[in-house]
Amino acid sequence: MRDGFLSNWRRRASQMVFLAILGEFSFYGVFRCPFAVPYVSCGNCPVLQCPGRDLWIPVWIGLLVSGIVFGRSFCGWGCPGGLVSELLGRLAVLRGRARNTLEAVSKYPVVVASLAVLFLLHNPRWAIPIRTGDFFNSVSLTFEHADQLWLWRTGFILGGLGLAIIIPHFWCRYLCPTGGLLELFNRIAIFKYFMTPACTDCDSCRDGCLAETRPAETNCVNCGDCKPTCPVDAIRIGTKIKSEEQKAQAA
Amino acid sequence: MNEKPKNVSRRAFLRASSAAATGSLLLGSEALASTFKNEFLQVWSCGGLAEAFIPANKAYEEMTGCRIDYSGAFAGALGKSLLGNATTEVFAPRVLELAKKLKAQGKMLHFVPLCFTKYVLVTPKGNPAGIKGIQDLGKSGIKTVLSPNASPPGGAASTMILKKAGVLEQAQKNAVVVGDCVQSVVPDVTKRTGDVAVMEVRLTKKAEFAGQMDVIDIPEEFIPPGPVPFVIGVMKFAHHKEIAEHYVKFITSKNGQSFFEAAGFIPAMSTEGERLVRKYGVKDA
Repeated sequence: MRDGFLSNWRRRASQMVFLAILGEFSFYGVFRCPFAVPYVSCGNCPVLQCPGRDLWIPVWIGLLVSGIVFGRSFCGWGCPGGLVSELLGRLAVLRGRARNTLEAVSKYPVVVASLAVLFLLHNPRWAIPIRTGDFFNSVSLTFEHADQLWLWRTGFILGGLGLAIIIPHFWCRYLCPTGGLLELFNRIAIFKYFMTPACTDCDSCRDGCLAETRPAETNCVNCGDCKPTCPVDAIRIGTKIKSEEQKAQAA
Repeated sequence: MNEKPKNVSRRAFLRASSAAATGSLLLGSEALASTFKNEFLQVWSCGGLAEAFIPANKAYEEMTGCRIDYSGAFAGALGKSLLGNATTEVFAPRVLELAKKLKAQGKMLHFVPLCFTKYVLVTPKGNPAGIKGIQDLGKSGIKTVLSPNASPPGGAASTMILKKAGVLEQAQKNAVVVGDCVQSVVPDVTKRTGDVAVMEVRLTKKAEFAGQMDVIDIPEEFIPPGPVPFVIGVMKFAHHKEIAEHYVKFITSKNGQSFFEAAGFIPAMSTEGERLVRKYGVKDA
């Protein structure tokens, strides 16, 4: 919920656990990964210090499983970038004034471009890998010796994240390719938040959502922050079909 | 970047001086433990040496208590930075000319030979195609694995070796894999997509590839001299020159050199290394 950072303490605890596990990997992917598309060529990466060398396969398997079971929940419960975006989004100046249809489709060109670079161009290295080194020195050397393309790629990510201070969750809503892929799972996910027929379309849930969406709609990350905002208690989590059948039987 | 003390206290100076004086005699013993405790040294090297420097630095830290801030990356990039405004206290580059340039600029005080790399042919374990020598890369039916666009020590050097051997054109025609990173094409050899590749023997020592390839020597006349030698030198930016000197002495000692041998390099202090020092003229003029 927008009002209290710790109001959904389970989600915050989950985000902190994932930050501890994936935070460093996330940092390396943005600031030190020499590849055009980060997080996917870790098996061949010469950056010795990056934890992604051990983590990348379990992470992608975990994402696939979590996508099937919980849809886009990783974005709201585990993604360190999502956490940064969420924190910055609390400062957003255009909160509630940037809803548009673009957010339903704008991630997919980024997904397609990423897949094309990965599979057609074999994910080239656009920066010289700083194999090992201290924190600031390595980041500074990476930027100093990177190709223009790498600087544009990194600027695109950082700029997209930074724009959260204008439009909440800008990166996650409009650009994130991982979010775009997970969004596809939202339709088939076993468990998700959804609105029951009792919903009156009052949009209180949308007002309470930092991503400015509603349960089971585009950009819903199953965070559950909207649940307490519903005046008619019409937000549920579970298997939507089963829950509707139970409700029908009860009626 | 870590903060460095600007002035050396008299006590620290005496402590470091005395350690440096006795260090060569006591190197490898526990007598030096804690001598440089709470001090630190910034070391940069060619990235290819990282697998050797990381355990060597750990051994040095345990022996002396001095913390090593180590960065390893493509020496051409680090060298470019150092020829510009960057600084480090000890630098171990590949390519002798880079060390000479830094010395000519007064940025490197002196350097000594460190180790040598060796270019070889690698085949899948068991050498299923029966490769006997570099000329075989030009034979029809042999599947080669190339990475011409990798960084120069991997890409340009391998291309030069094939060219000198007179098989470049045919080896290119025989290529079943053309990558832009040597490391990323190693699995194409281990998994038998290709029959043979040219690479540094150090890559066969990496944990993920160890024991999965056979190695065949390439005649030395085909090896370009540029990327073979590595040196190590003390930079003028060293805040504690005594520590920097002591560190270089450790790295070039029998103990220090063992880490380079284990990582697939020829130590400069070995019989073969001494021959290569003479062959490539690795000396601080």
